[in-house]
Amino acid sequence: MAGFFSIFRRIYLTIYNWTVFIGWLQVFYLSVKTLKESGHEHVYAAVEKPLLWAQSAALLEILHGLIGLVRSPVSATLPQISSRLYVAWGILWSFPEIRTHFLVSSLVISWSITEIIRYSFFGLKEAFGSAPSWLLWLRYSTFLIMYPTGISSEVGLIYNALPYMKESLKYSISMPNKWNFSFDYYYLALGVLGIYVPGSPHLYGYMLGQRKKALAKAKRE
Amino acid sequence: MKVVVTIRSGRELIKGGIELSDSATVADLQEAIHKRTKKYYPSRQRLTLPIPSGSKEKPTVLHYKKSLKEYTDGNGDTLTVVFKDLGPQVKYSTLFFWEYLGPLILYPVFYYYPVYRFFGYKGERVIHPVQTYALYYWCFHYFKRIMETFFVHRFSHATSPLSNVFRNCAYYWSFGAFVAYYVNHPLYTPVNDLQMKIGFGFGLLCQIANFYCHILLRNLRGADSGGGYQIPRGFLFNIVTCANYTTEIYQWLGFNIATQTVAGYVFMVVAASIMTNWALAKHRRLKKLFDGREGRPRYPRRWIILPPFL
Repeated sequence: MAGFFSIFRRIYLTIYNWTVFIGWLQVFYLSVKTLKESGHEHVYAAVEKPLLWAQSAALLEILHGLIGLVRSPVSATLPQISSRLYVAWGILWSFPEIRTHFLVSSLVISWSITEIIRYSFFGLKEAFGSAPSWLLWLRYSTFLIMYPTGISSEVGLIYNALPYMKESLKYSISMPNKWNFSFDYYYLALGVLGIYVPGSPHLYGYMLGQRKKALAKAKRE
Repeated sequence: MKVVVTIRSGRELIKGGIELSDSATVADLQEAIHKRTKKYYPSRQRLTLPIPSGSKEKPTVLHYKKSLKEYTDGNGDTLTVVFKDLGPQVKYSTLFFWEYLGPLILYPVFYYYPVYRFFGYKGERVIHPVQTYALYYWCFHYFKRIMETFFVHRFSHATSPLSNVFRNCAYYWSFGAFVAYYVNHPLYTPVNDLQMKIGFGFGLLCQIANFYCHILLRNLRGADSGGGYQIPRGFLFNIVTCANYTTEIYQWLGFNIATQTVAGYVFMVVAASIMTNWALAKHRRLKKLFDGREGRPRYPRRWIILPPFL
């Protein structure tokens, strides 16, 4: 029974990782192609479908962690995935006014490069039991550049969406109502920006620690 | 007898150890450590017996009332203990006082003062009767808690880490402001009169029951008893392990039935989940302790915290 579960787990994770890898590859290809041909204003329109699909598929990673399918701690996965989903759905998809901003291009390219490397690394690891050392190095090194560019783009886009949130009152609930509740999406966004300030260096430090551990382990082997 | 005090790395905390009389207790040792180090007062110290390196078992914690002789393992001349600094400590009564003072002060601020002007509400504010009763209910609740802290509760541990003061205050003060903001809001929509009376009536009943539960718990722990667990009995404790938490949760339910705010229900759910964790741990502990073996009583079958659900 345990053997069957192990095989099923490997097959499932291999399919999952390679499927999402294809999604991100598509995002990268379309964004670079559009950037060259039509300029940054059209990047979002070109990548919207695969971007939202690939990013939403990451929700399964939280589930994988919760049910013990993978070892990565949910506490580390959850903030990264939720912040990305917030930017993808809660900002880009929700506020069309900022889709033409140049930061969309840097965001999409940063995300896709990171994810292409990450999912191919896990895909090979699940399929063949190991990944080449150069891919391991890329997996734990590209974030040194991609993380700051990605985070800066996320913060920049949230900040640029603030006036549109205030103006449109989208997703906001105002009083009076039966349940005496109000919710302002604008203030949520400010709160999210506030979390980014201490959260980003903390996460960056965590990833540096992971890099040190992984590369040291690879050296020993 | 000579006591060698080391830290976890193995380095001696006090060079040359401490000489104590053969009848010395752990409390005497803690006082001696305090005298020598100045910084580490007794409640800040955690003393354990050393464990062999690589061992996975938990170290034995030295109880302050026991004699040091009990830990010497036959070798009566020397004893090695491992010292851990628990960090700055505060009395539990101090911790509870500050965490409950916040909601007690913050709530009336939202009721009495024109704070909503800062949130952009310029018009005249009409105060509904339910908002006034909610103020009385809320203030009575937190005043009751403070009074119980000083005159009813007996704590199993004398102190708590100072960091808990900031954490607990952040929790209570922010939730206090959160609930107060919505209940006292100028655009607040009150429930009907009957719902208000049912809510506050039920809530008040639960508050009185909660007070009685605390009296029963106090009587379980004698003034000079050194902690230790006993099976709680009488009143609601005959059917629920943590009746004090049950009444606490249900009295917030009463408040929320009467005031009907999402904020209030969020506070109740968060508080209930925290208390449920505590209750599950206590229930497990009592069942393990009172297993019906070797003359020990068997823990009776009871709900844990929320009849008829859990």
